[in-house]
Amino acid sequence: MSILEVKGLGKVYSSRFGGNKVEALKNVNFSVEAGEYVAIMGESGSGKTTLLNILAALDKPTAGTVILDGKNLKEVKESLVATFRRDNLGFVFQDFNLLDTFTLEDNIYLPLVLAGKSYKEMRECLIPIAGKLGISELLKKYPYEVSGGQKQRAAVVRAMITNPKLILADEPTGALDSRSTDELLRLFAEVNRMGQTILMVTHSVKAASVSSRVLFIKDGEVFHQIYRGGDTDEQLYQKINDTLTLLATGGMKK
Amino acid sequence: MKIGFYPRLAADGIRKNKRMFTPFILTCTGMVMMFYIIMYLAASHVLNSLIGGATLRQMFALGSWVIAVFATIFLFYTNSFLIRRRKKEFGLYNILGMGKRNIARILFWETLIIAVVSIALGLVAGIALSKFAELGMVNIMRGEVTYDLSISGLAVVRSLQVFGVIFLLLLLNSIRQVQFASAVSLLRSENAGEKPPKGNWLFGVLGLLLLAAAYYLAATIENPIAALLVFFAAVIMVIVGTYLVMISGSVLFCRLLQKKKNYYYKPNHFVSVSSMVYRMKRNGAGLASICVLATMVLVIMASTACLYFGEEDAINSRYPRDINMEFRFDKLSDFSDEHTQTLKDGVLKELENRGVSPKNAYCYRSASLYGFVKGNTVEVDAANISEMDAINSEYLFYFVPLADYNAMMGTNETLGNGQALLYSYRTDFDSELISFRGGESFKIKKKIDAFTGSGDTAMDMLSSLMLVVPDLESSLKQIDSVANYNGDRLLQMKWICNLDTGMEPEEQIALYQDLTDTFTDFSVKERLGYTGVYTSSQAFERDDFYGLFGSLFYLGIILSLVFLMAAVLIIYYKQISEGYEDQARFAIMQKVGMTKREIRKSINSQLLTVFFFPLVLAAIHMLFVFPIVRKLLLMFNLSNVYLFAATTGISLFVFAVFYTIVYRLTSGAYYKIVSGAREDG
Repeated sequence: MSILEVKGLGKVYSSRFGGNKVEALKNVNFSVEAGEYVAIMGESGSGKTTLLNILAALDKPTAGTVILDGKNLKEVKESLVATFRRDNLGFVFQDFNLLDTFTLEDNIYLPLVLAGKSYKEMRECLIPIAGKLGISELLKKYPYEVSGGQKQRAAVVRAMITNPKLILADEPTGALDSRSTDELLRLFAEVNRMGQTILMVTHSVKAASVSSRVLFIKDGEVFHQIYRGGDTDEQLYQKINDTLTLLATGGMKK
Repeated sequence: MKIGFYPRLAADGIRKNKRMFTPFILTCTGMVMMFYIIMYLAASHVLNSLIGGATLRQMFALGSWVIAVFATIFLFYTNSFLIRRRKKEFGLYNILGMGKRNIARILFWETLIIAVVSIALGLVAGIALSKFAELGMVNIMRGEVTYDLSISGLAVVRSLQVFGVIFLLLLLNSIRQVQFASAVSLLRSENAGEKPPKGNWLFGVLGLLLLAAAYYLAATIENPIAALLVFFAAVIMVIVGTYLVMISGSVLFCRLLQKKKNYYYKPNHFVSVSSMVYRMKRNGAGLASICVLATMVLVIMASTACLYFGEEDAINSRYPRDINMEFRFDKLSDFSDEHTQTLKDGVLKELENRGVSPKNAYCYRSASLYGFVKGNTVEVDAANISEMDAINSEYLFYFVPLADYNAMMGTNETLGNGQALLYSYRTDFDSELISFRGGESFKIKKKIDAFTGSGDTAMDMLSSLMLVVPDLESSLKQIDSVANYNGDRLLQMKWICNLDTGMEPEEQIALYQDLTDTFTDFSVKERLGYTGVYTSSQAFERDDFYGLFGSLFYLGIILSLVFLMAAVLIIYYKQISEGYEDQARFAIMQKVGMTKREIRKSINSQLLTVFFFPLVLAAIHMLFVFPIVRKLLLMFNLSNVYLFAATTGISLFVFAVFYTIVYRLTSGAYYKIVSGAREDG
C-alpha cells in the first residue's frame, strides 16, 4: 500500500508582477510504500527543498496532487493544516530546529503537548524510544549544552514520538561531522527497520546509500531512480556515484 | 576619513537594528522627560504660591532622586535586551579581526548617539509638557498665580548630569560584557537561556528584608514632613526591594510551575512557561518596573483625587464654622473669663445688628505648648532632646479650663486640684499621670473621647493631647514661667470662638470683614489685653481652597500621565523585544505543528500567569504607604480616611483597566511579530 502518492506535481514561482517565472518543479510523479526508506538526491537548486515543503504542506503546488495516506493535501482545510502536519508527519531538519527555551525532553514532548497528551502518556512514549536512540542521559539538558549529533538525535526522537505516517528529513546530516553522520544514518536505518517510513532529501551520497530507494531530481524533474535490490550499502554507494557522475556530465536521458 | 569610521559604523548599527533601538530610545526619552518634569517642579516657582508649596518642592526634589534610581535600574534592564541582540554582531566583528578595543569604540559612539538623541528628545518633550502643565495650572488658579514660562536651567543641567552618568554606566556594562566573552561565545550568546542568578535565594531574602524594613519605617513614621528623608529612604528601599523580590520571586515561581507536570505540559502553558523560564530575570525586572510605576501612579492619583473630592471636608475641618475667630493673649492674667466674655458680647452684638442669632456656636480658652513625651514626663524644651527622639515623641498639648469645657460640651464634670481630663487626638496616649518638666503635674481623672474643638488643631500635623484643667490661672502658674533656651515663652494662649450664621455667602463675607475691622482696632486690643486676632470665614476661604486643591489635583493628573506613559513604554518594549526574540522559535513551532490559535492561546496564558503580580504587589505597597499619605493629607486638613480609601480603590481599579487595555493592545503587536514571520529568522 502506498502511503504517499505524488502525481503531476508542478510549482512555478513568479515574481511579484508576474514578470519572471521560475519553474521549480515540473510534472513530478512518484509514490512511497509503507515502510520504505526513500532518499531524494539532487544538486542545490534542483527543487528538492521545494518538493519537501510541498509534501510538508508548508507550501502549495501550482499543479498536481499530493496524497498522504489516502488524503489529498489540497482538501485539508487551511485552519487544520497545522494539526494535520502534527498528526501525520514528523520532521528532521538540517539545522535541528530545537527550541532553546526547552530541555531536550520538552522539545521532544512539544508535538505531544500540542496534541493534548498527559505527562504520563508522553513519558511512556518517550522512555523506550529515548533508550533505543541513546539520549536517555541527555533529556534534562538544553540544546545549547549538547553537541550537534546529540541535538539531531533528539530531533529524530521528536519526529518519531507521534508515530507519524511519514518522517520527512531535510539534509539531516548537513550540519554534522562524519562520526555523528554515521551514527545518525545507523539510527535512521534502525528506525526504518522498526517499520517507520522515511523520506529524506540529501545531497550526501553516503546518506543516500543507506536508503532502500534513491530518486534523483534534476531541474525540477525526477530524472532517475535506483532500487537497492540486494545490494550492500557499498554497492549502492557506487551506483549512486555513477548516476551522479552521469548527471553532472550532462548524460542524455535514458 | 578615518575619524568618521567608528561613528558611522555605530550609526549604521543603530539604523540596521532600528526595530530594537527605536523602543529603547523611546524608553530613554520617556525617562528623561519624567525626570525633567519632576526636577522642574522642584526648581520652579510655580508651587510657591500654594500652601505647603515649600514642602511640595522638597518632596519633588527628593522624588527626582527616586526617579533617578528607578531610571538607572530600568534602563539597565532594557539595555540587557539590546546587548543580547548585539552580541552576535560583535562576535562577528571580533572574528573578522576587530579587537575588543575597537568594539568598545563602536559601543562608545553608539551609546553617545543614543544618549544625545534621547536626552534631547526627552528634554524637548519635558519642556513642552511642563509648559502645558503650567498653563493649565494658571487656568485652574484663575490667573492669580504669577508664573513664568521659562525653562528651568537647573532641571536641564541636572537631567544632563543624571542621564550622562546613567549612560556612562550602561556603556561600561556593555563593554564589560563584551570584554569578558570570547568571540564564539558572543556568537552563540543569543541562544543560551538565562541561568538563575547565583544565590537567588539570598537576593529574594534581601529583597524581602528591604521591603520589611521599608514597611516598618512607613508604619512607624509619625510625622512624614519632619522625617521626609527617612520617608524617601524608605521609598528607595521599596523600589530596590521590589526588584529583588520580583526577580527572585519570578525565578522561583517559574520553576514551581515547571515542576508541576500537570500544569506545565498543557498546550496553553507549555510554551509560555518555558519562555518565561528562559528569560526569568528580565521578566521579573519588567514586572517590578511596572509595579513601581503602578505604585507611584496610585499614590499620586489617590491622594490628589482625595484632596480634590474632599475639599468641603477640608474646609470644614480647617474652618469649622461660618465665622471663626481666634484671639491671642500674651499674659495669663489677661486671659480671664471677664475679658473673653466681653469679647463674646462684642461678637454677639455684631450679629444682633444684622438680625441673626448664632448657631452651633462654641467658644473656649486654650493654652497650648509643644512637648516631647518620655514615659509620663513631658520635656518642653527642644534643646534638651535629641533630634531622633524629637521626630516621634512630639505632641501638641493644650489646656482648656473646666468651665469652658462644661459650657461647650454641656457636661457637668468636676475636677479636684491637680486633676485633669484627657482627650487624645490622632494618638492613643495612655498614662495615669502627666508631669511637665519645670511645671505642674496632672493626675488623669478620666479620658474623654470627643471634643468639638478638636478640628481647630487640624492644621497641625502633630498628634495632640488636650487636658481639661480646673482653672487656667491657678493650674498653669509654673508652666507659664518656663521659657525655652531662646527665652521665649512657651505657652500660647488663645480664645477661640466659632459660630454659624445661616446667612448668604456674600453677607457672611461682609460680616467677617466688619468683625475683622472691629477687633483689629488698637484701642479694643489694649482694653481687653489681647495681642492679635485671626478671623476667617468659610465662604471667603472657599475660593482659595478650590484653587489650591484644584491645582494639586491637576498636578497629580499630569504626573500620573507621565508615569503611565512610562508604564506603557515598558510594556510595549517588553512585548516588542520579546516578540523579536521569540520570532524564530514560533516559526519552528509552527513547523512542528502549532496552529495560530494555539499561539494566541499561549500568549494569553503568559499574560494571565504574570499579569496580576505587579498589581498585587502595588496594592500591598499601597497598604503600607496608606498611613503616611493619610498623615500628609492631614497637612491639608483632610482627615477623611474613607474617602482616601475610596479614591485609592478607584485609582487601583482604573489603573488595572488601563493596564489590561495596554497589555491587550501590545500583545496584539507581539502576536503579529511572532506569527507573521516565516522561517527566514
